[in-house]
Amino acid sequence: MNTTFNLAWRLFRHEARRGELTIILLAIVLSVAAVLSLSLFSERLQQALTDRSAEFIAADRRLNSRTPVDEQWLVEAQKLGLQTAEQVSTRSMVFGENEMALADLRAVNDQYPLKGAITIAPEPFAPAADIDGTVPPGEVWIDSRLFQLLDVSIGDTIYVGDAELTVTQVLGEIPDAGFSVFNTDPIVLMSMADIAATNVTGPGSRVNYKAYFTGDASTLDDYYDWLRPQLDDEIHYWMSIEADESAVGQAVSRAERYFLLASLLAIVLAAVSIAVAAQRYSQRHFDPVAIMKTIGASKQQIQRVYILQISFITILGILIGSVLGIAIQQVVVTALGDSVEVSLDVWHWRPLLIALFTGSLCALMFSLYPLMQLFSVPPLRVLRKDIDASLSSRTIQFAAAGSAIFLLMWAYSRDLTISAILFASGIVLVVGLLAVTYGLIAVGRKLGGGAMGPWQLAWARIRRRAMDNSVQLISFSITIMLLLVVLVMRNDMIAQWRAQLPEGTPNYFVSNVTEAQRPALVEQFETNNIRYDEFFPVVRGRFVAINDERIRTEVTKEDEEPAQEGRDGLGREANLTWDTELQTENRIVEGRWLDQWQPGMPHEVSVEAEVAERLNIKLGDILTFNIGSEIVRVVVTSLREVNWQTMQPNFFFVLHPAAMENFAATYITSFHLDQSRKSEITRLMLPFASVTLFDVDARINQLRDVVDQVSLAVEFILILVLAAGSLVLIAQVQASMDERQQELAILRTLGAKGRLIRLSVVFEFLIIGIVAGFMAALANEFSLWLLQSQVFQMEASIHWEYWAVAPLAGAIVVGILGALGCWRLLALNTSTLLRKMV
Amino acid sequence: MQNMIETKSITKTVNTSEGSLQILQPISFEVKAGESIAIVGASGSGKSTLLGLLAGLDEVSTGEIYLDGQGLHTMDEEQRAQLRGDKVGFIFQSFMLVQSLTALENIMLPAEINGLDKPKQRALEILEQVGLGHRAHHYPNQLSGGEQQRVAIARAFITQPKILFADEPTGNLDAANSDKIEALLFDLNQQNKTTLVLVTHDNELAAKCQRQLNMHAGELTETTVDSVTTTVDVESQREAS
Repeated sequence: MNTTFNLAWRLFRHEARRGELTIILLAIVLSVAAVLSLSLFSERLQQALTDRSAEFIAADRRLNSRTPVDEQWLVEAQKLGLQTAEQVSTRSMVFGENEMALADLRAVNDQYPLKGAITIAPEPFAPAADIDGTVPPGEVWIDSRLFQLLDVSIGDTIYVGDAELTVTQVLGEIPDAGFSVFNTDPIVLMSMADIAATNVTGPGSRVNYKAYFTGDASTLDDYYDWLRPQLDDEIHYWMSIEADESAVGQAVSRAERYFLLASLLAIVLAAVSIAVAAQRYSQRHFDPVAIMKTIGASKQQIQRVYILQISFITILGILIGSVLGIAIQQVVVTALGDSVEVSLDVWHWRPLLIALFTGSLCALMFSLYPLMQLFSVPPLRVLRKDIDASLSSRTIQFAAAGSAIFLLMWAYSRDLTISAILFASGIVLVVGLLAVTYGLIAVGRKLGGGAMGPWQLAWARIRRRAMDNSVQLISFSITIMLLLVVLVMRNDMIAQWRAQLPEGTPNYFVSNVTEAQRPALVEQFETNNIRYDEFFPVVRGRFVAINDERIRTEVTKEDEEPAQEGRDGLGREANLTWDTELQTENRIVEGRWLDQWQPGMPHEVSVEAEVAERLNIKLGDILTFNIGSEIVRVVVTSLREVNWQTMQPNFFFVLHPAAMENFAATYITSFHLDQSRKSEITRLMLPFASVTLFDVDARINQLRDVVDQVSLAVEFILILVLAAGSLVLIAQVQASMDERQQELAILRTLGAKGRLIRLSVVFEFLIIGIVAGFMAALANEFSLWLLQSQVFQMEASIHWEYWAVAPLAGAIVVGILGALGCWRLLALNTSTLLRKMV
Repeated sequence: MQNMIETKSITKTVNTSEGSLQILQPISFEVKAGESIAIVGASGSGKSTLLGLLAGLDEVSTGEIYLDGQGLHTMDEEQRAQLRGDKVGFIFQSFMLVQSLTALENIMLPAEINGLDKPKQRALEILEQVGLGHRAHHYPNQLSGGEQQRVAIARAFITQPKILFADEPTGNLDAANSDKIEALLFDLNQQNKTTLVLVTHDNELAAKCQRQLNMHAGELTETTVDSVTTTVDVESQREAS
């Protein structure tokens, strides 16, 4: 055993030093480094993004409740090591010396907010900045609008219920203010210590209680497991950021899936490169094995020597790969450090484990068949070089490779759908390619006749090595396809993100605009050269019955933030609008739009599809609304899908104008004011004091920031995968060069000109590159369609440009790599080549 | 003197795309211990096939082969490997050195595989004997053809084999190197009292062996020392046995 070990070690050392193990070592290093850096980076980025999105609920988890949160629950959370904070909120009138206004009261304790920060401004409507800590007892921080509405300044006192409190700061934002275009009352932030004195939370008032929790994910999950049995669905609502369906949440979760996809593809690339390298490794060791067998080595000795050698290579590869992976990731994180908030101090073990697992599993499963082949080399090969390994069944190879890839995908993604999609499209690709290869070879047989020019030589070579070439073609195609998938996916995704927030996206919303104010407001916009949107009429109504059956369920959300405030929003009040034109980003999924209504027909309504599903509303149902003292009955004629991601007002209920003729509406619109003109806002809105102004710049910037960060990260991952893919291509070309060596030597010896040989090799690779590129484009389309429609919830589209780009790029890249490899061989003189042959 | 090699009507048939092809007609002959024989014949006459069978690298289709009294035809590959390790040395036309091992390590290889003690010391000694002490740490591709073949010879002798098979040992060498290699081969052969079976198409080299067997289209005939050709009477040998 000791001798075997020594021999294996000696062979390993020498071969490593002589560069004979470089390709297989590189393949393992590449796979480990790619998987490690990708997953480490994405893990860190996800952490950062999760933290970021946590700011939107001011914590990692939040419990919303209609009754005071049981003190014991908070104590239990603290016992588990979680941080907690509390908020009590309600709507109430607040009074200045002469004026009064309805305000959104938020009483918080000292720990609030657990995530994110409160911002304050030096004066009303001025840009706000973060402040540490929160409002102390006896004071209130109030929204800019309240300074106008109550006619107060800093230092004045205001009355909140029975309590008298001093205004000490201009409140900018609180992290979990929510984003509601309608009826957003200005916020009054006060201390929890003062809430009792106000007496506004007594019986009969609508009060919302919130408990906030932060800590590590598993503790939070444990805590929720403990808490869940005690919660009452009617009263409590548990929120986590994972459930965040806001634009930010969606961008983040889509990006996460992209990272996952990219990492999976990196694993497949790595596996392909290891497979190619292992095959080459095995073939290069046929002779030594035959020699050793000839001089008396037993099968067991040979197996030990080479399994040990592969183990040495794997261990070395994993070591170098890990170091390299961590280094790459560190470099990137440092480089992106300014623009992406990635925590450097957190170490994640899972990526390292995954990388180690990938490296060893790939090395094991992909070298299994080549090694078995190697072990089966007969000693007679020492006399007859044409005798190869006696093992010819490739079933083991395909089974081992297939199960390894699938296992890795599954282990890594923990997502059966995504793994199955990729795996299935891979199989479809392989089968398709095999068919096409044989087809092409048959065509080539006809074309390849005639005098021996470089083209004929190239075709002859392709034809002769049909099987080898089909394997090579498959690996080229898979590589190109994976690169395409990653590239196109990134382009589509970033384009969709950017489209969500084009330049000039409205950053202010105004509501409560009366019919009388509307022309004046329009004039104000026009004279000040401000871009504004359509005015939507709004009437508030109580949604009371479906088919005359009274309902309890509350419909609360009419804007970009579904679910978040779902439980404690605006009661049964719904905002009704009317129009005969379908809003942009709205799509009828069932029934027909309102424009076909004719006088004499019952009045019609179009309902947003999700709310319809929630309330079990069907086409033909009669909905009843109470508007003031009037009753409006409408029949549901269509269900709409609404893109909540757009920065525009959206409505659950759109009625036909005929139904609303008798009601006085207020209007809602949005406009865009450049960052540089923000100081004008007070002056602009001064004549319209009763209009509610809502500044969504902060929200938009938050979203834009996240999208920028995620795009940057996606970009990086694209580059990493491209680099990995190129290395795989190089490895593949190198591997196939060895096989060509002998033929080149013979052609050379026979006096073939370098030009002929070179051109023939270049043409051969060109042909392979074109076919691989074309097949890759085809397979790319197929898997993209599956991925976009099944996993990313995006509109799948056809990417015609890549049908041209892929074969062209394939031909150029593979052709150049082939030419380079060939030049290297041709640089050797004929006798060296011949000597290498023996 | 005992027989080191004994074959009884061995044949070799291979399957080709056009049906089975018998590449060796029934062959029977004996080689005494310490004898040197040359198998000569044109390319494709089947001499390498015969060598492969005699050395236990390949299996006979029919017939019996005994190597130092042990029936090769009854053994599986593992047992034959064991036998080769114990008793057989090889020299090839293309040297067949392991490219990633140094000259010294190549020579040590059989000793290590067969579990002999002090492989390195043995290898260094024999390397000196073949005049390459100063090239111990060179890789095969850093050595000339003649030097590589000397390393191969050293490797063949390190286990002190009872039988040495040489397949065109000078086939890849120029005249001057060929002479040196031949001299070395026969010297070591005599010193170690090894049985030598040499395959060559070089008649001069063949003449240096005690016996010459001639292969022609899968049939073997023996040329005696006094140049009178007699057919190895396969049938009569079979009757005798």
